[in-house]
Amino acid sequence: MSISSSASDHKRSAATGAKESSNAIPPIILSERSITGLALIRIFVGYLWFQQLFWKMPPDFAGLYSYIIRESQHTIIPGYGYILQHTFLLGCASLHTATGCTLYVPLAAGVWIAELIVAISLMFGLFTRIGAILGSVLAIQLYVGLAYTEWIWTYGMLVLLCLALSAIPAGRRLGFDQWLAPRLQAAAHSNLLARFVSWFA
Amino acid sequence: MTHIRRGLLAGLLAGLLLAMLNFVTDGTPGRTLPDVLHLFGITIADPTLSRFAGFFLLIVLGGIVGIIFGLVQGERFISISRALLSGLVLGLAWWLVFSLLLTNIMNHAPSPLNLQFGMFLATFPIDLLFGMVLGSIYYQLQEQPATAEA
Repeated sequence: MSISSSASDHKRSAATGAKESSNAIPPIILSERSITGLALIRIFVGYLWFQQLFWKMPPDFAGLYSYIIRESQHTIIPGYGYILQHTFLLGCASLHTATGCTLYVPLAAGVWIAELIVAISLMFGLFTRIGAILGSVLAIQLYVGLAYTEWIWTYGMLVLLCLALSAIPAGRRLGFDQWLAPRLQAAAHSNLLARFVSWFA
Repeated sequence: MTHIRRGLLAGLLAGLLLAMLNFVTDGTPGRTLPDVLHLFGITIADPTLSRFAGFFLLIVLGGIVGIIFGLVQGERFISISRALLSGLVLGLAWWLVFSLLLTNIMNHAPSPLNLQFGMFLATFPIDLLFGMVLGSIYYQLQEQPATAEA
């Protein structure tokens, strides 16, 4: 059984089918075992994000505060610390608690919800590529802020894991994308939105 | 009979996944696994042994639930829609029985339906995931007829 990434792939392979005999590069087909293995990796990466929700729980998201402070002090991109100090840390009076911070709670809630979306998307294989892309963005942000406060590859590996899951349709086994993808691809011929969304499943 | 075997295998594999997810916990590996034994009133003094026993009990429970899943589905071929939906229902039932009722009863909570947000978040998605994976594996284990729903 072959797993291709989108409806357009089917079209492309059909259109180029006649030329394939003369082309030097054969198409890559994932076996059932390979895609199931990738689905398991996807579930564990989603679980990784899921576990990190619990040390920064609502309503105060207190666990996140010390990391934002560290990011503002150790960022590898000039100006990123300034942005953090004028958003997350605006009005903050202490290095240890978020007392006096005006924007910390709503912005931290945004981070928490984004991580929850990544976790649910990857664990359940639901629009997996949206979860993987959002996870990549969050992991890049962590890398920018914290790369030199821990082992240099800690967050780098997280970025690479999420990028790898963005590139493959890992939700089409052991996930809801297995149900969604063929339906969206069928609708993609007549519906522009379905064509766009089908890439994420 | 094949549907029962298929359910058993799907349940064992989904149970193995659930046990592995319970093993890679923050802090000490497998620290939540003895809780599974506690649900059945089993206590093992040795912490390492207790974790391994919890790990295997989860797999066995997965197998039993998988057999029930297979019995409910019967001999017929089921579509991916039905497999995923049945799996989610099974996950919900698992959560209700094990993560809510039995946990509260064994912990002498004020009510069997006692629920806090943190506990809900820690258990509900994982139990639904178990059910969905079981349903999905069951679907994959079926011999796919040419006209089967994709």
